[in-house]
Amino acid sequence: MARLSIEDVSVDFGGIHALRDVSFALESSAIVGLIGPNGAGKSTLLNCISGITRPTKGRVRLDDAVLSTLPPATVASRGVGRVFQHPELVVDLSVRENLQIACHRSLRYGLASEFLKLPHVRAAERAAGRRVDEVLDRLGLLDSGEVAIRNLPYGHRKLVDLGRALLMDISFLLLDEPIAGLNDAEVARLRDLLLRLREDLGLGILVVEHNMPFVSRLCDHLVVLDLGQLIANGAPADVLRDPRVMASYLGEDA
Amino acid sequence: MIANLIVGGLAAGCLYAMVGIAIVIVLNITDIANFAQGEMAMVTTFFAYWLLDSVGLSWWQAVPIAILFGMIQGIIIQQVIIRPLIGSPVLSAIIATLGLNIVLNSVAGLIWGHQTYTFPSPFAFSAPFMLGDVPIPVDSVVNIAAGLAIVIAMTWFLRFTWIGLGLRAASQNPTVARMMGVSISRSSAIAWGLGGLVGGISGILVAPSLFLDTNLMGALLIKAFAGGVLGGLNSLIGVFLGCLALGVAENLVGAYVSPAFGEAITFIIIIAVLIVRPEGVFGRVRARKV
Amino acid sequence: MSATADIVRAGRNAGSFGVSRVLLGLCLAVACVAPFVLNGYGLYILTLTGVFALVALGLNLLTGYAGQISLCHAAFFGVGAYATAILTQKAGFPYLLSIFVGGLLTAAVGAVVAVPAMRLKSLYLAIATLGFGVVLQKIIFEWRSLTNGGGGLALNPPAIAGYQLDATGLYYLTLTLVMLGLWGASNISSGRTGRALMIIKESEIAAGALGIPAARYKVIAFALSAFYAAVAGGLFAYLVRYIHPENFSVGLSIAFLSMVVIGGLGTIGGSIVGAAFYVIVPELLRGIKDAPGLVFGLLLVIVMVLMPQGLWGLARRLGRRA
Repeated sequence: MARLSIEDVSVDFGGIHALRDVSFALESSAIVGLIGPNGAGKSTLLNCISGITRPTKGRVRLDDAVLSTLPPATVASRGVGRVFQHPELVVDLSVRENLQIACHRSLRYGLASEFLKLPHVRAAERAAGRRVDEVLDRLGLLDSGEVAIRNLPYGHRKLVDLGRALLMDISFLLLDEPIAGLNDAEVARLRDLLLRLREDLGLGILVVEHNMPFVSRLCDHLVVLDLGQLIANGAPADVLRDPRVMASYLGEDA
Repeated sequence: MIANLIVGGLAAGCLYAMVGIAIVIVLNITDIANFAQGEMAMVTTFFAYWLLDSVGLSWWQAVPIAILFGMIQGIIIQQVIIRPLIGSPVLSAIIATLGLNIVLNSVAGLIWGHQTYTFPSPFAFSAPFMLGDVPIPVDSVVNIAAGLAIVIAMTWFLRFTWIGLGLRAASQNPTVARMMGVSISRSSAIAWGLGGLVGGISGILVAPSLFLDTNLMGALLIKAFAGGVLGGLNSLIGVFLGCLALGVAENLVGAYVSPAFGEAITFIIIIAVLIVRPEGVFGRVRARKV
Repeated sequence: MSATADIVRAGRNAGSFGVSRVLLGLCLAVACVAPFVLNGYGLYILTLTGVFALVALGLNLLTGYAGQISLCHAAFFGVGAYATAILTQKAGFPYLLSIFVGGLLTAAVGAVVAVPAMRLKSLYLAIATLGFGVVLQKIIFEWRSLTNGGGGLALNPPAIAGYQLDATGLYYLTLTLVMLGLWGASNISSGRTGRALMIIKESEIAAGALGIPAARYKVIAFALSAFYAAVAGGLFAYLVRYIHPENFSVGLSIAFLSMVVIGGLGTIGGSIVGAAFYVIVPELLRGIKDAPGLVFGLLLVIVMVLMPQGLWGLARRLGRRA
């Protein structure tokens, strides 16, 4: 049972208060939605957790260890996976090859061994190949393994991006607007996938989204940000009826 | 003695600064580091030499024409090589400028050969200015004055004219700039034209003392970049002051430590700045949106 | 556009180098009998091609895979040449050991140069390496006690295990090292390091999210490419038997870059093709001093604007149609 705590996180961009004293926690097997109008600081908060932005005040902790002073690659290696708004995949490679990149940390061989392609390197690559196949299966993309990303529809590219995070042996998953650009069928598929991931792997999931029906059906509870401050934290039904939340969205299409 | 070294360093620094300013204008507006800047200036200088030598114009007639040539050269290069690469990774454009570097160097060699020519200067035989009892060669004064004039003119142009504002908008946010009617391609062309123009001035001022041959600007290019890194590659004033500082440092280290060290100071400065303050003394860190 | 992707993928599926094993074996066989067919000059050209192919293989890992520009690989080439020469001639090391130690030394120097720049945009690495290339040439020139400065170093023929290497011997040594370098580069590019470099080139943020520290891998790519260049330098020194600081200028660094680009960035076959091109063109244009430069420069620009896959990509595309 792991716990990702955001403690009094504030971020100042030279006079602009992107985040102010935000505190909440994410636990294993929980799905939390992070919502709020544009400019509320949601992506900034994800960046603080991922190590891309360092909080001006406060910290992010994984159990007892402080994450917010670590570089992004180290945060990722501690088991915090991140899926960005726009998938940045290597366009000339196939789905399978892009997923193999994500096996990087599990392949523990040195440069010299790699240069000489020693037997244990070959064995490790084969094992990684099997893990890639497992993830392809889980995502329903087994048939698309050899397709170049260039030729892949947008919805599938987002799945591949998710697949990369899954190959990293994560305990927490951060998703930045995962359903943007997806049609209804794809949205339903993603929702089922996330619920199964929570069940099978015990992942703690933090989803940044604008789409209210999606988050209220998916998430155990919602955290609402407005202008950098946390204004509500609770069950979807309660949060969405909260007058402050409604006021912050006034004029905004939900 | 030390005063002479400083003045000499400032004059040399101004020459680096002119190349540096040309580079920074193009870099800030189009995000491309023009590694062919020096060779473009060299070609412009050879063109000026041709006007002086074969066509027989006077210095004051030839130089404005040559500077115009430099500007047109910049625009043509932007249209032919750079414009097709808008949207490609920056790596491609940098490699293209390296290719251009070799092309220009080779073309100049094919046309003018590899001998060294003397490039005249109208200030060569004037008596030096006296600052107290320190003699300052007129060439140096002209270089410093030209450097200052260019920095002031470019800063004013970018900050206070419509075209200049358009250029800055184009570099900071192409999408919004386009919506406001700023043509990105035209901004790019203007930037490269200005770069070619300023570069041409630097070549013409350098040539009398360093002698004109195809290797004229090669060494200056790295010093311009070094001064830019020191002062901040996104600041015109930064490049100017950084190059001045480099020129003075070179002279002082060269005289008081050793000549070899004076040459190495360029590289030492680059590495030191990259370790301690990568954005340079006057540079600003640009935040990236993820 | 998708035709390009298909070529790249088909290449990956058709064996490590994008050509069939049969073709590769054929080339190797031809290469092995070459000394019996060619005269002294032809053998020299072929050996020189091998030397530059080694440089190109290493540089391709840095520029083609990791997407970084280096303007000082001629300096690494030179350090390797001088290190090998000095260790062999003045310190009495065995030739092969000198090459290897020279390579390691140069890789270490490369790592030191690269570290400050690797957190920054690739422009800063290009500038840092430009400065380094100029400074290193000066150091070689000034450190007269070690390198004989501007006088250059004249070298005796090398020996392996007591047997003196003649032109044929050096050719076979070069061929062996090129084969080894080719195999190693292919393994790296298809292994986790190669894949890490590819995602770093695409997006350092995405790399970080996958647990791949971008700065560290860029330094690894840089040091590895410096190692290749230095080993090539060690062979070069004993091929030409007289080295001089003027050999290792920034112009040569740009020429190395043009080799890799014109051959085809990011492809191993491109490295070989680029090296061959780089040696052959000046031979064909002998007499006109600036002609090779003009050809390389123009091709560099043309490849970037019109044919990013380079000559290798062009050849494969034609081969598919045939």
